[in-house]
Amino acid sequence: MTKPMIRIHNTQTDEVIDREMTAAEFKIYEKDQAALAAEKAEAEAKAIAKAAILARIGLTADELKTILG
Amino acid sequence: MATTTNYGWTTPDDTALVKDGAAAIRTLGSSVDTTTKNLNPSTTLGDIEYRSSTANTNTRLGIGSTGQVLTVAGGVPSWATSSSGGMTLLSTTTLTGANVTISSISQDYQSLHILITGVTNATSDGALRVRPDASTNNGSTGQVLGTNYHQFGNISLSFEQNMLRTSANNAFALDIFNYASTTTYKPFTFSGFYESSGPTDQYVIGGGGTSEISAIDSLFLFHGGGNFSTGTVRIYGVK
Repeated sequence: MTKPMIRIHNTQTDEVIDREMTAAEFKIYEKDQAALAAEKAEAEAKAIAKAAILARIGLTADELKTILG
Repeated sequence: MATTTNYGWTTPDDTALVKDGAAAIRTLGSSVDTTTKNLNPSTTLGDIEYRSSTANTNTRLGIGSTGQVLTVAGGVPSWATSSSGGMTLLSTTTLTGANVTISSISQDYQSLHILITGVTNATSDGALRVRPDASTNNGSTGQVLGTNYHQFGNISLSFEQNMLRTSANNAFALDIFNYASTTTYKPFTFSGFYESSGPTDQYVIGGGGTSEISAIDSLFLFHGGGNFSTGTVRIYGVK
Protein backbone atom coordinates (compact mmCIF):
# COMPACT_ATOMS: atom_id res chain seq x y z
CA MET A 1 0.00 0.00 0.00
CA THR A 2 1.30 3.44 -0.87
CA LYS A 3 1.94 5.57 2.17
CA PRO A 4 1.51 9.37 2.27
CA MET A 5 4.37 11.57 1.11
CA ILE A 6 6.27 13.77 3.55
CA ARG A 7 8.91 16.48 3.23
CA ILE A 8 12.09 16.81 5.28
CA HIS A 9 14.10 20.03 5.04
CA ASN A 10 17.58 20.02 6.58
CA THR A 11 18.30 23.65 7.46
CA GLN A 12 22.06 23.09 7.74
CA THR A 13 22.53 21.64 4.24
CA ASP A 14 19.32 23.10 2.74
CA GLU A 15 18.63 19.62 1.38
CA VAL A 16 14.93 18.88 0.79
CA ILE A 17 13.79 15.28 0.63
CA ASP A 18 10.28 14.26 -0.46
CA ARG A 19 9.56 10.62 0.24
CA GLU A 20 6.96 8.15 1.43
CA MET A 21 6.50 7.70 5.17
CA THR A 22 8.29 4.85 6.82
CA ALA A 23 6.23 2.29 8.72
CA ALA A 24 7.13 3.97 12.02
CA GLU A 25 6.19 7.42 10.70
CA PHE A 26 2.94 6.01 9.33
CA LYS A 27 2.02 4.72 12.79
CA ILE A 28 2.48 8.21 14.24
CA TYR A 29 0.53 9.67 11.33
CA GLU A 30 -2.37 7.30 11.98
CA LYS A 31 -2.28 8.17 15.67
CA ASP A 32 -2.38 11.89 14.79
CA GLN A 33 -5.25 11.37 12.39
CA ALA A 34 -7.20 9.42 14.99
CA ALA A 35 -6.64 12.18 17.55
CA LEU A 36 -7.73 14.81 15.05
CA ALA A 37 -10.85 12.84 14.14
CA ALA A 38 -11.72 12.47 17.83
CA GLU A 39 -11.26 16.20 18.37
CA LYS A 40 -13.40 16.98 15.35
CA ALA A 41 -16.15 14.66 16.57
CA GLU A 42 -16.01 16.24 20.01
CA ALA A 43 -16.22 19.74 18.54
CA GLU A 44 -19.17 18.74 16.38
CA ALA A 45 -20.93 17.15 19.34
CA LYS A 46 -20.39 20.34 21.33
CA ALA A 47 -21.78 22.44 18.48
CA ILE A 48 -24.87 20.23 18.24
CA ALA A 49 -25.42 20.40 21.99
CA LYS A 50 -25.00 24.17 21.92
CA ALA A 51 -27.50 24.52 19.08
CA ALA A 52 -29.99 22.33 20.95
CA ILE A 53 -29.76 24.51 24.06
CA LEU A 54 -30.20 27.67 22.02
CA ALA A 55 -33.23 26.19 20.27
CA ARG A 56 -34.71 25.22 23.62
CA ILE A 57 -34.41 28.73 25.04
CA GLY A 58 -35.38 30.35 21.75
CA LEU A 59 -32.22 32.34 21.06
CA THR A 60 -29.92 32.52 18.05
CA ALA A 61 -26.14 32.35 18.46
CA ASP A 62 -25.88 36.05 17.57
CA GLU A 63 -28.48 36.99 20.17
CA LEU A 64 -26.58 35.03 22.78
CA LYS A 65 -23.36 36.83 21.80
CA THR A 66 -25.13 40.14 22.24
CA ILE A 67 -26.27 39.15 25.74
CA LEU A 68 -22.84 37.89 26.74
CA GLY A 69 -20.99 40.78 25.11
CA MET B 1 71.79 68.90 34.10
CA ALA B 2 68.85 70.66 32.41
CA THR B 3 65.80 68.64 31.35
CA THR B 4 62.73 69.28 29.17
CA THR B 5 59.45 70.14 30.85
CA ASN B 6 57.18 67.30 29.74
CA TYR B 7 59.33 64.25 29.18
CA GLY B 8 62.43 65.10 31.18
CA TRP B 9 64.85 64.68 28.31
CA THR B 10 68.38 65.74 29.22
CA THR B 11 69.72 68.82 27.44
CA PRO B 12 73.10 70.61 27.77
CA ASP B 13 73.43 73.26 30.45
CA ASP B 14 74.24 76.80 29.31
CA THR B 15 77.72 76.29 30.71
CA ALA B 16 78.31 72.97 28.97
CA LEU B 17 81.29 72.72 26.69
CA VAL B 18 80.87 72.77 22.93
CA LYS B 19 83.18 69.76 22.65
CA ASP B 20 80.53 67.72 24.49
CA GLY B 21 77.79 68.73 21.99
CA ALA B 22 77.79 65.52 19.96
CA ALA B 23 77.29 63.36 23.04
CA ALA B 24 74.56 65.71 24.33
CA ILE B 25 72.68 65.56 21.01
CA ARG B 26 73.05 61.77 20.94
CA THR B 27 71.65 61.48 24.48
CA LEU B 28 68.74 63.78 23.68
CA GLY B 29 67.98 61.98 20.41
CA SER B 30 68.05 58.63 22.13
CA SER B 31 65.62 59.86 24.79
CA VAL B 32 63.25 61.25 22.13
CA ASP B 33 63.40 57.95 20.26
CA THR B 34 62.61 55.92 23.38
CA THR B 35 59.73 58.16 24.39
CA THR B 36 58.26 58.20 20.89
CA LYS B 37 58.35 54.41 20.72
CA ASN B 38 56.76 54.14 24.18
CA LEU B 39 53.93 56.41 23.02
CA ASN B 40 53.52 54.65 19.69
CA PRO B 41 54.10 50.91 20.12
CA SER B 42 52.17 50.01 16.93
CA THR B 43 53.70 47.32 14.77
CA THR B 44 50.86 46.14 12.56
CA LEU B 45 48.12 47.51 10.33
CA GLY B 46 45.04 48.34 12.41
CA ASP B 47 46.87 48.59 15.75
CA ILE B 48 45.68 51.21 18.20
CA GLU B 49 47.24 52.40 21.45
CA TYR B 50 45.86 53.30 24.84
CA ARG B 51 47.51 54.68 27.93
CA SER B 52 48.94 52.09 30.27
CA SER B 53 49.33 52.39 34.03
CA THR B 54 52.87 53.65 33.43
CA ALA B 55 53.22 57.34 32.58
CA ASN B 56 54.25 58.11 29.00
CA THR B 57 53.97 54.47 28.00
CA ASN B 58 51.08 53.28 25.84
CA THR B 59 49.91 49.72 25.34
CA ARG B 60 49.45 48.31 21.85
CA LEU B 61 46.05 46.76 21.02
CA GLY B 62 46.07 44.65 17.85
CA ILE B 63 43.11 44.88 15.46
CA GLY B 64 40.11 42.65 16.26
CA SER B 65 38.45 40.30 13.84
CA THR B 66 35.63 41.15 11.41
CA GLY B 67 32.41 42.08 13.18
CA GLN B 68 34.03 42.67 16.55
CA VAL B 69 33.43 45.90 18.42
CA LEU B 70 35.60 47.94 20.76
CA THR B 71 34.54 47.45 24.34
CA VAL B 72 35.96 47.72 27.85
CA ALA B 73 37.08 44.79 29.99
CA GLY B 74 39.05 45.07 33.20
CA GLY B 75 39.26 48.82 32.83
CA VAL B 76 41.03 48.80 29.46
CA PRO B 77 39.82 48.69 25.84
CA SER B 78 39.53 45.38 24.03
CA TRP B 79 37.87 43.91 20.96
CA ALA B 80 34.88 41.61 21.51
CA THR B 81 32.13 39.99 19.51
CA SER B 82 29.02 42.13 19.46
CA SER B 83 26.26 40.90 21.72
CA SER B 84 23.60 43.10 20.21
CA GLY B 85 20.35 41.59 19.00
CA GLY B 86 19.16 40.80 15.54
CA MET B 87 17.41 38.16 13.49
CA THR B 88 18.94 35.80 10.99
CA LEU B 89 16.88 33.91 8.43
CA LEU B 90 17.79 30.25 8.98
CA SER B 91 15.49 28.57 6.48
CA THR B 92 12.58 28.91 4.10
CA THR B 93 10.48 25.78 3.60
CA THR B 94 7.57 25.14 1.26
CA LEU B 95 4.81 23.00 2.78
CA THR B 96 3.74 19.91 0.88
CA GLY B 97 2.68 16.34 1.60
CA ALA B 98 1.12 14.87 4.73
CA ASN B 99 3.64 16.51 7.02
CA VAL B 100 6.87 18.49 6.91
CA THR B 101 9.89 18.17 9.16
CA ILE B 102 12.30 21.08 9.37
CA SER B 103 15.45 19.58 10.85
CA SER B 104 18.96 20.47 12.07
CA ILE B 105 17.91 23.90 13.32
CA SER B 106 20.94 25.88 14.49
CA GLN B 107 21.36 25.94 18.27
CA ASP B 108 23.28 29.24 18.25
CA TYR B 109 20.43 31.62 19.08
CA GLN B 110 18.35 32.68 22.08
CA SER B 111 14.98 32.07 20.51
CA LEU B 112 13.26 31.07 17.27
CA HIS B 113 10.86 33.35 15.41
CA ILE B 114 8.74 31.34 12.99
CA LEU B 115 6.50 32.84 10.31
CA ILE B 116 3.96 30.57 8.61
CA THR B 117 1.94 31.96 5.72
CA GLY B 118 -0.40 30.94 2.91
CA VAL B 119 -1.32 27.49 4.18
CA THR B 120 -3.88 25.55 2.13
CA ASN B 121 -4.88 21.92 2.14
CA ALA B 122 -5.53 19.46 -0.67
CA THR B 123 -8.29 17.51 1.01
CA SER B 124 -10.33 19.24 3.68
CA ASP B 125 -10.48 21.94 6.33
CA GLY B 126 -8.39 21.32 9.40
CA ALA B 127 -6.29 22.70 12.20
CA LEU B 128 -2.65 23.66 11.61
CA ARG B 129 -0.24 22.18 14.14
CA VAL B 130 3.42 22.45 14.96
CA ARG B 131 5.18 19.84 17.01
CA PRO B 132 8.48 20.95 18.51
CA ASP B 133 11.12 18.35 18.04
CA ALA B 134 9.94 16.42 15.08
CA SER B 135 8.31 13.17 14.49
CA THR B 136 8.03 11.59 17.89
CA ASN B 137 4.81 12.09 19.74
CA ASN B 138 6.56 12.49 23.06
CA GLY B 139 6.47 15.52 25.27
CA SER B 140 3.60 17.87 25.68
CA THR B 141 2.66 21.47 25.23
CA GLY B 142 -0.06 23.48 26.79
CA GLN B 143 -1.64 26.61 25.47
CA VAL B 144 -4.14 29.10 26.69
CA LEU B 145 -6.63 31.47 25.17
CA GLY B 146 -9.07 32.57 27.78
CA THR B 147 -9.43 29.04 29.02
CA ASN B 148 -7.01 26.14 29.07
CA TYR B 149 -6.66 24.39 25.78
CA HIS B 150 -4.19 21.59 25.92
CA GLN B 151 -2.60 19.78 23.02
CA PHE B 152 -0.44 16.81 23.78
CA GLY B 153 2.90 17.39 22.08
CA ASN B 154 1.56 20.00 19.65
CA ILE B 155 1.10 23.72 19.28
CA SER B 156 -2.23 24.19 17.58
CA LEU B 157 -2.00 27.53 15.81
CA SER B 158 -5.71 27.60 14.96
CA PHE B 159 -6.79 26.08 18.28
CA GLU B 160 -9.69 23.67 17.79
CA GLN B 161 -10.92 25.62 14.79
CA ASN B 162 -10.55 24.24 11.29
CA MET B 163 -8.92 26.47 8.71
CA LEU B 164 -10.74 26.83 5.39
CA ARG B 165 -8.66 24.53 3.22
CA THR B 166 -8.82 26.62 0.03
CA SER B 167 -7.99 29.97 1.62
CA ALA B 168 -4.37 31.09 1.60
CA ASN B 169 -5.37 34.16 3.59
CA ASN B 170 -3.58 33.14 6.74
CA ALA B 171 -0.45 34.07 8.61
CA PHE B 172 0.97 32.97 11.94
CA ALA B 173 3.94 34.10 14.01
CA LEU B 174 5.31 31.68 16.58
CA ASP B 175 8.14 32.45 19.00
CA ILE B 176 9.82 29.68 20.96
CA PHE B 177 12.10 30.96 23.69
CA ASN B 178 15.20 29.32 25.12
CA TYR B 179 14.77 26.57 22.53
CA ALA B 180 18.39 25.40 22.66
CA SER B 181 18.39 24.77 26.39
CA THR B 182 18.90 21.19 27.50
CA THR B 183 17.88 21.87 31.09
CA THR B 184 14.69 23.92 31.07
CA TYR B 185 11.19 23.92 29.58
CA LYS B 186 10.47 26.23 26.65
CA PRO B 187 7.78 28.89 26.70
CA PHE B 188 6.19 29.98 23.45
CA THR B 189 3.79 32.63 22.19
CA PHE B 190 1.94 32.92 18.92
CA SER B 191 -0.56 35.03 17.07
CA GLY B 192 -2.25 34.80 13.73
CA PHE B 193 -5.10 35.26 11.35
CA TYR B 194 -6.96 32.72 9.22
CA GLU B 195 -10.31 32.00 7.64
CA SER B 196 -12.46 29.22 9.01
CA SER B 197 -15.34 27.52 7.22
CA GLY B 198 -17.96 30.05 6.41
CA PRO B 199 -15.64 31.72 5.60
CA THR B 200 -15.25 33.66 8.82
CA ASP B 201 -12.20 35.67 9.79
CA GLN B 202 -10.51 34.30 12.88
CA TYR B 203 -7.85 35.98 14.98
CA VAL B 204 -5.82 34.04 17.48
CA ILE B 205 -3.34 34.81 20.17
CA GLY B 206 -1.99 32.24 22.56
CA GLY B 207 0.93 30.83 24.38
CA GLY B 208 2.11 28.11 26.61
CA GLY B 209 5.12 25.95 27.09
CA THR B 210 6.61 22.59 26.35
CA SER B 211 7.30 20.21 29.17
CA GLU B 212 10.36 18.83 27.47
CA ILE B 213 13.86 19.82 28.57
CA SER B 214 15.71 18.51 25.52
CA ALA B 215 16.79 21.15 23.00
CA ILE B 216 14.48 21.80 20.07
CA ASP B 217 16.38 21.19 16.85
CA SER B 218 13.47 20.38 14.56
CA LEU B 219 9.85 21.30 13.92
CA PHE B 220 7.18 18.98 12.62
CA LEU B 221 4.19 20.58 10.87
CA PHE B 222 0.96 18.87 9.96
CA HIS B 223 -2.60 19.76 9.07
CA GLY B 224 -5.77 18.14 10.30
CA GLY B 225 -7.24 18.25 6.81
CA GLY B 226 -4.63 16.01 5.21
CA ASN B 227 -1.97 16.93 2.68
CA PHE B 228 -0.62 20.46 2.47
CA SER B 229 -1.19 22.17 -0.90
CA THR B 230 0.71 25.39 -0.25
CA GLY B 231 2.35 27.24 2.57
CA THR B 232 5.67 28.73 3.52
CA VAL B 233 7.59 28.51 6.78
CA ARG B 234 10.39 30.94 7.54
CA ILE B 235 12.52 30.33 10.61
CA TYR B 236 14.60 33.13 12.07
CA GLY B 237 17.20 32.79 14.79
CA VAL B 238 17.06 35.64 17.30
CA LYS B 239 20.13 36.65 19.32
